[in-house]
Amino acid sequence: MPEARMEAFMARIQRGEKVEAHDWMPEDYRLLLLRLIHMHAVSEIMGAYPEKEWVPKAPTLRRKMSLMAKVQDEIGHGQLLLRVAEDLAAPLGRNRIELMDDVITGRIKFHNVFHMEAPTWADAGIIGWLVDGAAIITQTALLDCSYAPYARVLKRICAEESFHMQHGESIILSLAEGESWQREMLQDALNRWWEAIMFFFGPPIVTDAARRMMEYRIRSRTNEELRQKFLTRYVPRIRSIGLEIPDSAIRFDEDAGLWRYTEPDWERWSRVVRDNTGPKSQERVALRRMAHQDQAWVREALVRARTAAAI
Amino acid sequence: MAREGDMQALDPIIGELALQLGDEELFLGHRDSEWLGLAPEVEEDVAFASMAQDEVRHAAFWYELAEASGFGQADALAFDRAATERRHAALCARPNGDWAHTVLRHYVYDAWDAVRLAALAESGGALWAQGARRMLREEHYHHLHMEKWVVDLGRAGGEAAARLRAAFEALLPDLPDLAAFAVDPKALVDLGILSRPLAELRRAFVARMAPTLTKAGLPVQDVEAILLAHPREGARPVAHHEDAAALLATMNGVRSLGAAVW
Amino acid sequence: MAMTQVEKDLVQEQAADTSYDVYEIFVQASDLDPHVHVGSVLAPSPEWALQLARENFLRRAEAVNVWAVRREDVHATPADPDWFAREFDRKYRDVSGYADNARRWKRFKAQAMNIDDVIADVRKE
Repeated sequence: MPEARMEAFMARIQRGEKVEAHDWMPEDYRLLLLRLIHMHAVSEIMGAYPEKEWVPKAPTLRRKMSLMAKVQDEIGHGQLLLRVAEDLAAPLGRNRIELMDDVITGRIKFHNVFHMEAPTWADAGIIGWLVDGAAIITQTALLDCSYAPYARVLKRICAEESFHMQHGESIILSLAEGESWQREMLQDALNRWWEAIMFFFGPPIVTDAARRMMEYRIRSRTNEELRQKFLTRYVPRIRSIGLEIPDSAIRFDEDAGLWRYTEPDWERWSRVVRDNTGPKSQERVALRRMAHQDQAWVREALVRARTAAAI
Repeated sequence: MAREGDMQALDPIIGELALQLGDEELFLGHRDSEWLGLAPEVEEDVAFASMAQDEVRHAAFWYELAEASGFGQADALAFDRAATERRHAALCARPNGDWAHTVLRHYVYDAWDAVRLAALAESGGALWAQGARRMLREEHYHHLHMEKWVVDLGRAGGEAAARLRAAFEALLPDLPDLAAFAVDPKALVDLGILSRPLAELRRAFVARMAPTLTKAGLPVQDVEAILLAHPREGARPVAHHEDAAALLATMNGVRSLGAAVW
Repeated sequence: MAMTQVEKDLVQEQAADTSYDVYEIFVQASDLDPHVHVGSVLAPSPEWALQLARENFLRRAEAVNVWAVRREDVHATPADPDWFAREFDRKYRDVSGYADNARRWKRFKAQAMNIDDVIADVRKE
């Protein structure tokens, strides 16, 4: 009987049908999805921190407002994704509070790029342009996900990312059109971020978890396919504004039809993500602790106010 | 009643008022934005970030008005004026406290702003009146949101109510200067830009807050008493500039690198 | 130390009491649109759900009304595709079932009507 249920589930997936939160699903499917979406949600929220540092310093009123709106959107995406993760976690007896606690205890990881320093305004620009650009590519690759609640939320997220794309490009273009020291600042920022962005897509090998996600039609593209798409889109644009990609090996191999590049230090970056040992990992986890645990009194107060109002 | 255009555009008092309003909205919006990623619950983080943006947008409106009066370019007015040249009420530049302090400060600021905007909305300056009316509409949601926070934290009792009370005590000394103007309000009335005298605005301010503060268990009579003790009939004293100087040092972190287009 | 059933119930009740509820959010874009489900928020009360829904779902889109409905109060159909089974065509109740009218009117040297023309005509001053 359980096997028949599993077969029926896989048959549905193969037919291209979508799965909803209350449908029966194999435990393996639930756990893979939960890990993916939980990490996605947490990365959106942790991703707010490096850019948030630049909101108070944004150099014009318009930049101040637009960067605020952008960071706000990221947190909003975190909210949408958390709700999807919470519904997947509910049957396991876990709620929002615990999913957030996991960030603080290190049980859930967030993307390597958000462990890094963003020491200049140009870093804010590179995050908006290239880190977001990379994230947009990985997110659009999930739009056809077999889990409908995730696919629906991604549709909304991608629509808002279209503003983020323009926003990031606008900052970059101003720097590229600007003074020579602004262009230097931009090049320095690119040098800092390039390897991290290459790592962001994940290793070229298809892990067991990645293979299962493809079987479940949670995702349909490999890490390498997505990295290649990113390179095809962005390398010419990066060069067009006079920037140099800090990788002497980068070139398009016409025969193979793909980009050659220097592989990031997989070991080192994996450790950063696994152990929260990047230059800013601990500081940003501490910010989340401040928001979440140190303000538990606010959450408790609203529940008590509800009770007080009911009496 | 003042005629539109020529005389208003040239009157330095009106320009000063635009700078005051711009500085206040900008500083408060800046402080609000420091909460990004740190508010209690992600849903509130998103909601509060909209208010931060609204405040900065309103600041931009006032600076643009000052720009139109020949005071200089709006971004330069927002970023490049020294702390000692600022015209804000001290309350707007104070560093952030805890969440209770943040919502209560915002609540009292919004309450005063609403009263002030209502008086400007009746003013003889068409641009001023129109801007004030649009801001008033946006401030409606801020008011409801902040009022709910203040009342709920007060009603919750325990730690929340104690924190709210501490915030109230901390904010109280700043209220007389908040409910005042950087220029002589009588001159604003004479110019037709302000429809009512300061004393009347202050009464409306207290009346607006009274039900909310009472529901939250805060002593509204303390507000009345401190306002009476400091009438601020002329231009209010310039705010101590330490807070503004620190805020501006951060705000100019990128601009100070050199003259450039950003 | 083993808990009695009463103690267990109490613990559970207290746990439930300190957490927020899920509210499903429905947005009405204009007076002539129905409310459409857009997502959900965690909130301590319906009033808070509405307060939070505004910026979580309407940062860009315009709206005239929002509903917040506690998730427990939403009743959904079962996840059973047969619930929606509709195997045989119902062209008899569809415009497409009457495609031949136009040809037949032609015989009488008259034109077939459609509802859009009628609406446009009635609206015309």
